[in-house]
Amino acid sequence: MKGLVSGIKRMEIHDGDGLRTTVFLKGCPLKCIWCHNPESISFSVQTAYFKEKCLHCGTCGDKHTAETALSCPVNAIVTYGTEYEAYELVETVMQDEAFFRAGNGGVTLSGGECLAQPDFAVELARLFHEKRISVYIDTCGFVPRETLKRILPYTDKFLYDVKAVDPAVHRACTGQDNAIIIDNLRFLSKMGAAIEIRIPLVVGYNDMEIPAIADLLKDIPCISKVKVLKYHNFAASRYEALGMENTLPPALTTSEDVQKAVDILASRGLNAVNGVTSD
Amino acid sequence: MTLHQKELLDNVLKMMDYSGEEDVLKSDCDIDIYLLDNCEITVPEINRFMVAVDCRAIREIVLRERFYAAKSTIRDPAYADGMAAKLYFGTYDFGHTSACWEDVIDLGIYGLRQRIDRYRDRAGNDPHKQRFYREITRVYDAALRFIARAAKKARDEGRTEMADGLDHLTKGAPSTLYEALQTVILYYYLQQYFDGTLLRTLGRLDTLLLPFYKKADKAIVPQMLLDFMQEIDRIRAAANMPFALGGTDEQGNDLINELSYLLLETYRKAGTNCTKLHLLISKNTPRDIVENALDAVREGNNSIVFMDDGRVIKSLELLGEEHRDAVNYHVVGCYECGANGEITCSCGTRMNLAKALEMALFSGVDLLTGKQIGLANDGVFPTFDDLFSEYLRQVKYAVDCGIYCTDLCEENYGMLHAAPIFSATYVSALENGGDLYCDHSAKYPNSSVDAIGLATATDSLAAIRKLVYEDKSLTLDELKAILKNNWEGQEVLRLTVKNKFPKYGMGDKKTDDLAKKTVDALAAQVNGHPNKKGGIYRLGLFSIDWRWKFGSLTGASADGRLSGETVSQNTGATFGADRNGATAHLLSVAYLDGTRTPNGAIVDLDLHSSAVRGENGLNAMTASLYTFLDLGGFCIHYNVLDTETLKKAKDNPEAYPNLQVRLCGWNVLFSSLSEKEKEEFIARSESAGMSA
Ligand code: SF4
Ligand code: SF4
Repeated sequence: MKGLVSGIKRMEIHDGDGLRTTVFLKGCPLKCIWCHNPESISFSVQTAYFKEKCLHCGTCGDKHTAETALSCPVNAIVTYGTEYEAYELVETVMQDEAFFRAGNGGVTLSGGECLAQPDFAVELARLFHEKRISVYIDTCGFVPRETLKRILPYTDKFLYDVKAVDPAVHRACTGQDNAIIIDNLRFLSKMGAAIEIRIPLVVGYNDMEIPAIADLLKDIPCISKVKVLKYHNFAASRYEALGMENTLPPALTTSEDVQKAVDILASRGLNAVNGVTSD
Repeated sequence: MTLHQKELLDNVLKMMDYSGEEDVLKSDCDIDIYLLDNCEITVPEINRFMVAVDCRAIREIVLRERFYAAKSTIRDPAYADGMAAKLYFGTYDFGHTSACWEDVIDLGIYGLRQRIDRYRDRAGNDPHKQRFYREITRVYDAALRFIARAAKKARDEGRTEMADGLDHLTKGAPSTLYEALQTVILYYYLQQYFDGTLLRTLGRLDTLLLPFYKKADKAIVPQMLLDFMQEIDRIRAAANMPFALGGTDEQGNDLINELSYLLLETYRKAGTNCTKLHLLISKNTPRDIVENALDAVREGNNSIVFMDDGRVIKSLELLGEEHRDAVNYHVVGCYECGANGEITCSCGTRMNLAKALEMALFSGVDLLTGKQIGLANDGVFPTFDDLFSEYLRQVKYAVDCGIYCTDLCEENYGMLHAAPIFSATYVSALENGGDLYCDHSAKYPNSSVDAIGLATATDSLAAIRKLVYEDKSLTLDELKAILKNNWEGQEVLRLTVKNKFPKYGMGDKKTDDLAKKTVDALAAQVNGHPNKKGGIYRLGLFSIDWRWKFGSLTGASADGRLSGETVSQNTGATFGADRNGATAHLLSVAYLDGTRTPNGAIVDLDLHSSAVRGENGLNAMTASLYTFLDLGGFCIHYNVLDTETLKKAKDNPEAYPNLQVRLCGWNVLFSSLSEKEKEEFIARSESAGMSA
């Protein structure tokens, strides 16, 4: 079973509980204008060219391909998308097993949308679960119900993104409707899954949605935590390097904005957490 | 230097005999006594425990004079080129010691003086021994006179608490917490400023002070400890002044107690620069004190070193030291561990692994000077293993040379330095009736070798293996020509090697094996090798700030390092080579045998502040520590770096006068670094941030 991976990050503390390794699976059904992982939206291998790093040494003959990336001496050409066999990826991640055990952590499958490579994601989750490694699934929720059913037995917690309640706002920000997302959230809750909600707060785009999100979430059981993440635009250079149109909104969101959102969520009885101060 | 200091120095220099026949024990005792009786005593307003004296630095000058007088005996010109090129280095070391603190605190200066009498009475008529007792008795009598003088001065200035304490110490052992703390500082002065033997640890303060703490009025303790720690810090010791917390007793019980927590809390509050903490972690150390210390690191107090108690003990036992001595070890200086009763001479011999590889490649000829300093060879290495064996042969040769140079100094310690005040704290010195240095009277009169540049050498070997023997993209001769030319015109290849080749620190066994084999070979050669003092050599792998000097004398290396650039730090990856993040870095280091480096093997782990933020950040940090120690690590230190702060501090040093970073073996003020070093730190923090 093979899958396409855009990156692996070890000793991660921001993607769930404990010390974790996050595996980014490539490809996403949404296209959020604020996406901070633009390299993980496309389902195919991509090559990026970081011109500020380039020495103009001529080695690549000005061709920026997966081939030339191998020989660029300063990694100004970067290939996103490495094909892994599931067992091979598991082996790589398991190098840090002792750290996971000591740090009450495990592995988080993220993306992109990890469940958009359903067979691969399920296989990974199953293998980790077999080795008694905690598996978190970081998902945007825009996935077939069937996939959720398949991954559920191997999942210790879902990190579930909620971006907006108003379908028009959701469409404007992500390119897709959110009915499936909200439905799936209710489904997971009904199944008794452990869920942590994550809200990327982008002032001017979805900050006005916070009260509605709060109202939605307060009636959904099984949500252990709602974390508000502060939007930043650090990904700008990657958009450019990938030759993608930079859709990033200006970084106007402040820590105070995050706290305001947290307060609103908390006032509805939710266990809201400030992503700036908590990690 | 004040006029009075100058006068002290002039008189001291007149007391010395430059004939080469000097009776160093006698003349050092005379010097100690002269200084004790004649130094000027002042009572700084701010001090609570101890007066100040003006004889600082005089002893260093004495040692320097002795060195020049003895130079023709203790230096062999045949080794001058190799020493100058820093392929190896061998010298004396009177700088890394721990007093036997239990006895100092138990007995006080007064009691130490009385104890000498008992040993003297038991020793029979051996004239050599009797002379030793006589000499050190004279010094201790002078020390008691000095304390009385200090007490009087304090009393004259209306400092009753200090005067009462000192008065008591002229006639008895410390009886209160105040007097115990006063004894620590007092003894420190005596050994450092009068004996001229650098003291590099205050010992396990939590265990040492516990009996006094139990009797003390708890309400006044926190302030007293804070005053103590700040007063210690104001001494501005050469390098740093460490103390330790924790460890285990002979039965394996963990020694963390109520006072350990209080001392850690005090340390966090004290805002000191010079004082450093070694936390000795056993299997039973309460997790909360470890977390508390890591939290302190995270908040910018980066002068805490975390050591694996079990592994230290094991490494000392493997040297043949008795369990009860090994358990009761001390950490002198940065990370060097010595058993109870051991003089480690931890910084005598150094050798440069990166330069040894240069020797293997260039037939023992120094790339920078063209001089023959290593072993010659025919330059033919059909397989990588052939080259690797040649590298190990050059390593062994460099170690041998360094040891030879150290031996020359150490067998002539009698020409250089005696330590009467220090010696009287060692039971073995009293039993043997001889000075710790002149007579090598310690129970374990040991010496040490440090190998520097492990990652640089390993990465270079890995690069040669790939380029020449696997990919066959270059012949060895072509590569040698490139190195000779300092990579000139080969920037693409150089950067490719630097940025794309496998490196030590990436958790890759194939590369790490090269480092492991190097360390195993070093350990086999060094550990247990007899020295000239009746003791043995011990291995360490730390490079501290020597790496700059050693690097500046090492030609271009195959890992992409340019000629003259620094070699790698301690046991860590080459800066920037930990491409797979912190856990991989630790896996590589823990793969080395942590039981064979009693002289210290430390990794400095750079973490970006964002990677350790919040509750989970502390959890991850703690997990990284425990896992590293579990997997076989010896000792670890964290640098929590924040790029923005460092950048601001570089541009505007006045605004960040207290920002500390750990440069090497000790923490330094960021503002005191050279521009080059500052830039390295900023780059390191950026790279830590990248993987964060
Ligand atoms: S190989 Fe890399 S550094 Fe060289 S010109 Fe191409 S992109 Fe630039
Ligand atoms: S769901 Fe995540 S990965 Fe997908 S486009 Fe949105 S932000 Fe990017």
